[in-house]
Amino acid sequence: MTNTGNRSNHEPSKETFDEFRNSFSYGSRTDLFFKWMKSGSADLAAGFLQELLDLTGHLIDDGDTRPIVETIINAQAEAYAGPGSFEYEDGPFTKLDQPVSESRVALLTTTGHFVKGNDPNPFGIENLTQEQATTMTAEFGRADPVLSEIPTTTSAANTRVRHAGYDIRASASDRNVSLPIDRMNELADEGVIGGFVSPAFSFVGLTSQLRLRNEIGFEWAARAKAAGAQAALLIPI
Amino acid sequence: MSVGHVARAFEAAGIPNAIIMSKVFRDRTAAMSPPRVLLTRHPMGRPVSAPFDVEKQRGVLKAGLELLDSATEGGTIIEYEKPYRTGPFDN
Repeated sequence: MTNTGNRSNHEPSKETFDEFRNSFSYGSRTDLFFKWMKSGSADLAAGFLQELLDLTGHLIDDGDTRPIVETIINAQAEAYAGPGSFEYEDGPFTKLDQPVSESRVALLTTTGHFVKGNDPNPFGIENLTQEQATTMTAEFGRADPVLSEIPTTTSAANTRVRHAGYDIRASASDRNVSLPIDRMNELADEGVIGGFVSPAFSFVGLTSQLRLRNEIGFEWAARAKAAGAQAALLIPI
Repeated sequence: MSVGHVARAFEAAGIPNAIIMSKVFRDRTAAMSPPRVLLTRHPMGRPVSAPFDVEKQRGVLKAGLELLDSATEGGTIIEYEKPYRTGPFDN
């Protein structure tokens, strides 16, 4: 019998530890904040869980969250250590022609933000939910990326986020966690930057990497330039 | 990896850029030789700050912007010193 990992299953469990840790990555226990337990080794996941439980014991007494945060970050970093599928020995470099305080700065993120009423409707599906999106990672990975334009006057209430690849809770709670429009507007008002290019841009980073590298990235650069960008901050999730 | 492709395309098009990202993905991004990277000591999904940590958001963005002014060569990677702070913060 195949064990699905469903916690409502009261039959004797034959689930292995590998099945358990893998179930957090688009499985029966999907949790995108801990999906890395599948990417790393079994020892990493086991050690992490043991340490997490130990630190939880301390947390309930001293209320100090910092050790748990550090433990999570370190485990995530170890799980994703090493190069990915793309390696380049060097890359283009362009010096800024004027100080950043005199430059119009664009913002582009891979977070999957968009404006309410202007949903990119992936795969032609209207009102795709976050939960539905997490079941479509293969489709997103093959599809062309779509760049959403977010006017910098867009209110937080009219900003939406959906992404099949990461835990969106923090970004949905406060867009400035990963799409810092409010802070960039303030920095422009204060003269820290010469201007904040409108619109800001966002797309779902889980996408066809080859299409992005070979064609679409250059098209987006042209769009940013047309919007007046002299420099850019890029924020991946 | 997406951001590495965008960073290279923007830079090649004459738009100097700085990536602000969690250090969790440092190796994968660094392997793509992006022009400038500011790493934050933050968990996945929270590259700039915890929700409503406005002070951190401002500090991280200013550090990223300063990198645009200061970097003299591609592949410049620095780490933002202050660790992730958990809330709650006022909003």
